[in-house]
Amino acid sequence: MKTKSRVQKTFIYALLIFFSLLFLAPLFWMVTTSLKSPEELYLFPPKWIPSSLHFENFKEAWISQPFTQFLTNSLTVTILATLGQIVSSSLVAYGFARFTFKGRDFLFMVLLATMMIPWEVTMIPLYMEFNFLGWINTLKPLIVPAWFGAPFYIFLMRQFIMGIPKELDEAAKIDGASSFQIFYKIYLPLMKPVLILVGVFSMLNCWNDYLGPLVFLNDQSKYTLTLGLAQFKGMFGVDMEGIMAITFLISIPPLILFFAAQRYIVEDVSKSGVKG
Amino acid sequence: MRKISILAMILLLVSAFSLAACSKSSSGEKTSGGSGEEKDGKGNVTLRFATWDSGEALKIQQDIAKKFEEKNPGVKVQVEAYGDGFDQKLAASFGAKNPPDMMYMWNFPAYYESLEPMDKYLEGDTEIDMDDFYQGLFNYSSMNGKLYGMPAGFTTRVVYYNKDLFDAANVPYPKDGWTWDDFHQIAKKLSDPSKKQYGVGIVPEPDTYDLQGLVWSNGGSFISNDGKAVKGYMNSQETIDSIQLLGDLLKDKSAVLVGGKNQQSGDDIFKAGKIAMWESGIWPLAGFKEAKVNFGTVEVPSFGDKPAKGVIASSAVSIAKDSKHKDLAYKFVKYYSSAEAIKMRTADLPVRISVVKEMNMEQDPTLSPFYKMLERSDNTPAFLLNSNWNEINRNLSAAINAVMLGQDAEKLLNKAVHDSEKYMKK
Amino acid sequence: MKLIPASSTPYVEINKKKKIKWDKVVPLLFISPWVIGFLAFTLGPLIYSLFISFYDWPVVGEATFIGLDNYKTMFMDDPLFWQSLWVTVKFAALFVPLNIIVALLLALLLNQNVKGHSFFRTFFYLPSVISGVALAMIWAWVFNGEYGILNYFLSLVDITGPNWLNETGWALVAMVIASLWGQGTMMLIFLAGLKSISSEIYEAASIDGASKLTQFFKITLPLLTPTILFNVINTIIAAFQQLTLALLLTGGGPLNSTYFYAMYVYENAFKYFKMGYSSANAWFMFLIVLGLTMLVFKSSSAWVYYEGEVKKVK
Repeated sequence: MKTKSRVQKTFIYALLIFFSLLFLAPLFWMVTTSLKSPEELYLFPPKWIPSSLHFENFKEAWISQPFTQFLTNSLTVTILATLGQIVSSSLVAYGFARFTFKGRDFLFMVLLATMMIPWEVTMIPLYMEFNFLGWINTLKPLIVPAWFGAPFYIFLMRQFIMGIPKELDEAAKIDGASSFQIFYKIYLPLMKPVLILVGVFSMLNCWNDYLGPLVFLNDQSKYTLTLGLAQFKGMFGVDMEGIMAITFLISIPPLILFFAAQRYIVEDVSKSGVKG
Repeated sequence: MRKISILAMILLLVSAFSLAACSKSSSGEKTSGGSGEEKDGKGNVTLRFATWDSGEALKIQQDIAKKFEEKNPGVKVQVEAYGDGFDQKLAASFGAKNPPDMMYMWNFPAYYESLEPMDKYLEGDTEIDMDDFYQGLFNYSSMNGKLYGMPAGFTTRVVYYNKDLFDAANVPYPKDGWTWDDFHQIAKKLSDPSKKQYGVGIVPEPDTYDLQGLVWSNGGSFISNDGKAVKGYMNSQETIDSIQLLGDLLKDKSAVLVGGKNQQSGDDIFKAGKIAMWESGIWPLAGFKEAKVNFGTVEVPSFGDKPAKGVIASSAVSIAKDSKHKDLAYKFVKYYSSAEAIKMRTADLPVRISVVKEMNMEQDPTLSPFYKMLERSDNTPAFLLNSNWNEINRNLSAAINAVMLGQDAEKLLNKAVHDSEKYMKK
Repeated sequence: MKLIPASSTPYVEINKKKKIKWDKVVPLLFISPWVIGFLAFTLGPLIYSLFISFYDWPVVGEATFIGLDNYKTMFMDDPLFWQSLWVTVKFAALFVPLNIIVALLLALLLNQNVKGHSFFRTFFYLPSVISGVALAMIWAWVFNGEYGILNYFLSLVDITGPNWLNETGWALVAMVIASLWGQGTMMLIFLAGLKSISSEIYEAASIDGASKLTQFFKITLPLLTPTILFNVINTIIAAFQQLTLALLLTGGGPLNSTYFYAMYVYENAFKYFKMGYSSANAWFMFLIVLGLTMLVFKSSSAWVYYEGEVKKVK
């Protein structure tokens, strides 16, 4: 029964290709639109391949708003928040995975439960809290919380650490290494795959975040790229091709990141196992 | 144990925060003036100026601010662009007692209590020539007899038409004094749905403010002149007919819906030559010229023997009551409405008569309809008449949106009046 | 990574002084970032939010205690509350099953050991890595009634497509379609679930003469139910938090037909600045989500098979 009939195989391929087209067509449409001249934009039937490629659309759209500033802001948030996320989540995950202490299991349940809290509930007090701290209209609300770990990443890392044989640290302990040295010297290097996974997830999240910047930032000079794009309307010399150009540009880093780390994401995303 | 763990937590907290602090300096990010009292090492004062403009128009604001800085050494103007979220962000900053010193303003009924009246500054000022401004504009920035903002720019609304499309269909260009019947016929002739070409573009969720010219032209209005009643005004036959007119244009495919959230704006589609006529303010004019569209402008149509009416969209600059540098802020506002600065504002129309004369704008055939419409704009818009207009307007907007989607204007406007009654008593 | 020693400094010092107590402190030190973050950014705000919900809390002026009035207004005197709840329920009713079916179908296809399955897997996952804002921008253009690519395809098969985002009946459907496009993560989780089913079971079933279809319904589906449960709960939560698309694609319109509950909460807070009222809205939603999740969990004993049980059945 291992070999499938030809008909079956063709059918499966046809379905796969059909779905691939469904998933890729809008992306393709975005790319071609970004290269069109304004006149070709509103042709009917639409033109898939522009008759001439207008790369200047990208430059025009980019300079029509301070997108360079937005890019700097996005990079700042993404890098600093991800760094914090990796440092804090790995520490916490190690704490949950390798120690026994009173209330550990309860705390871990609480940690998992917080994943279910809708952001709407905490949004208003958080806004007030950050306002009280004078953080509104700065990048801090987008960076600082990341330095305290996130449940999902902690969970992923904990699962990974649990899979590492304990004998390793027994040996190190005998050599007189402290818990922190064990974590730093033995576990961190071993955790490379999950660190990369969490790093990529966190970077994607920060880069793509829209609601955080929307609520916490006021002034255009603080905008991140997503917020800049969302506020970027077809006004004054900037049209649909410009919007699509920027959309395309801000999608490039996540795509590169995804391709670079693909093997970690698609293989590991739930190796940790999801059992109800 | 507890003591130590608390100590440890604190240490960790401190280390985490110091890290965040490092990050701040490395990112080169400057915290925006928390108190407005901000001074840097040289004793400079920073003024914050909030605007809703973006893109080209924002650049103009920044240029004017820079000019002001040159003339006033030691003063820094930080232009804060709130864009789409202007109202939200401004309200929040007033609530937090941390508003910008100066800001763009149009919705005076909502904000005047937080703004500084200008009268006492103007009385002591002999340099400023108040007669040089179009006097009608002051009505838009006054509340209870006090002036809360200096006019900065304005626009009236006209009809743009694409000459090429008219020529191709052998339709003569519209002329001032035309009627809505003419308009409808022309729109029908110029529509060709198979080519995705339409006579006119209509926004599905129009700002009710922009529709007031149309309603007034037919002798209707959204609210009584004393602002105390909507019944018999918002749902009068005249108002209903004027709104239904737009619905009818859409129904017989003389018009197409354009715009809406993140959809192609009517400006873009007009530019692409897919709609023949487009009713708007001055904003898209420069873009049309740049795109080399062969277009003309004309006054809005009338309802036969009734005079056509227009509505003014004006921007003024105001000073926050809580500002710590009011005198300096006034200096900025004064510069902002000076002839020099007004000339730099190419994105809308000059508010000073002398500037208009100097630049011969009334003679320019594409600009003259805007000034003719200014003479037709003597009605008071609804938001100035009732302090609950925001709430009332939500009902009205919903009704008008439904008309654009093909429902019956009369029924909907009656419902809007019914839903709005509770705001009238207050 | 130079940052780490900073937090280890206290540890070294204390370690020298009190060796015994240290054993108990170390674990807490490790988890303390999360504990602090939890108190400061989750639990604190959560409780504060409940507190605010009993107040009339405008952004300007004094807050006044009004007891349950916010909740009363919500149920008795606010048609928008019911409208937004109804929109969200409709969205969830369409989106949750469709999302599960599409993701499962794609995962099943990818699990067929065909050549190039990693390419297809990449294609299906690609939209999930780009920003929700980008997604909204792309779909706004695809859905355009006059010039959009979707209606062009429909016109090829002689269907006059609707003006997707400007018709009350279709705007929500458009949202569902745009949301389905980002099903990638769910598909990967299903794929992992499928891969964890050992081939021995299938082989045994084949020998017993079970057809592919029988195998799917008798083996694959039951063994996959824990994964399905996980995905159902996640999708429900996601449906209730749907905001980005609504804000950017339709702004809640036309005629509030896509005015999601999350948008209602957001606008009450940050457009109308009714902080107390909005907190009440948010807490009500929290209870709904909690209730639905418990319901799904409760019902799960009836339809979720854990591996141990299955073996017993066999």
